[in-house]
Amino acid sequence: MHQIDCPWCGVRDETEFQYQGDATVIRPAPDASEETFFKYVYVRDNPKGWHTEWWHHLGGCRQWVKVVRHTVSHEIHATGRAQDKLPVPDEGPKS
Amino acid sequence: MVERAPDFVAVTPLGDFEPFTRGAGDGVGVNLSVQPARAMVQLFARNGKADDVAKNLKLEARPGQATICKNFVTFPLSSGQWLLVSNADDPEKFAPAIEKKISGIGYISEQSDARICIRVSGLKARDLMSRGCRLDLHESVISKGFCAQTQMAQVGVLIHQVDDAPIYDLYVYAGFAKPFWQWLIDISSQFGISAENKGE
Repeated sequence: MHQIDCPWCGVRDETEFQYQGDATVIRPAPDASEETFFKYVYVRDNPKGWHTEWWHHLGGCRQWVKVVRHTVSHEIHATGRAQDKLPVPDEGPKS
Repeated sequence: MVERAPDFVAVTPLGDFEPFTRGAGDGVGVNLSVQPARAMVQLFARNGKADDVAKNLKLEARPGQATICKNFVTFPLSSGQWLLVSNADDPEKFAPAIEKKISGIGYISEQSDARICIRVSGLKARDLMSRGCRLDLHESVISKGFCAQTQMAQVGVLIHQVDDAPIYDLYVYAGFAKPFWQWLIDISSQFGISAENKGE
């Protein structure tokens, strides 16, 4: 069970959130190629380590929360609002 | 011949239940009460105007704390969003009055029929809440005036601690009110229940 620190509500259980995927993908320019848009919509990395991702706080304030989470240990390093730039650690999780 | 449309009568989703008392070993531990329908509006600040809206209506902008105003109670829902619940007798005038005060810096959505308020009180009220609510509601952590949106029994609920007794008001979306009410009855049966209906 994750406990996610929502910037508005405070620390809440994972059950109040819905995972919404990779928060690092950036929409290509409107004139980008079809292949670029295909990758933007469908292709995702599957990293073993730190991952910046979206969690939607459906059961609370309904804001989108940015979370830096380790995909192996599930440690959460940082959370923030959608517009925040969150630091991603170079090394592995603490434990 | 012109056919006349049927007369519709406004009802609440919990309007048809009969009040009852069902004691347990120690008597009645929990009182559940459907509260009378009240006028409600959801208030949104325009971009960058949250502080102005809060100042105009004298609202609390930080999360977790309800504001008791002269004619209404305010719950911060999210950044720049509040739920306003009227205490006044003239519900039809509530939304226009609020809209007038925040003209140009915010906007409202009429929510009067969207939520049902259920009041939970009694000696075992906190025990009942701890069975379905994941928030820490212990008296050392929260007190009168606390409010939060969370989930109980997979239903979105706005919790307001009205009093340190404790008394909680649970605001539930009308469409979920009936199953949520049934869940409350089921889960509180071991404490002994008194259920009353102050709604319409």
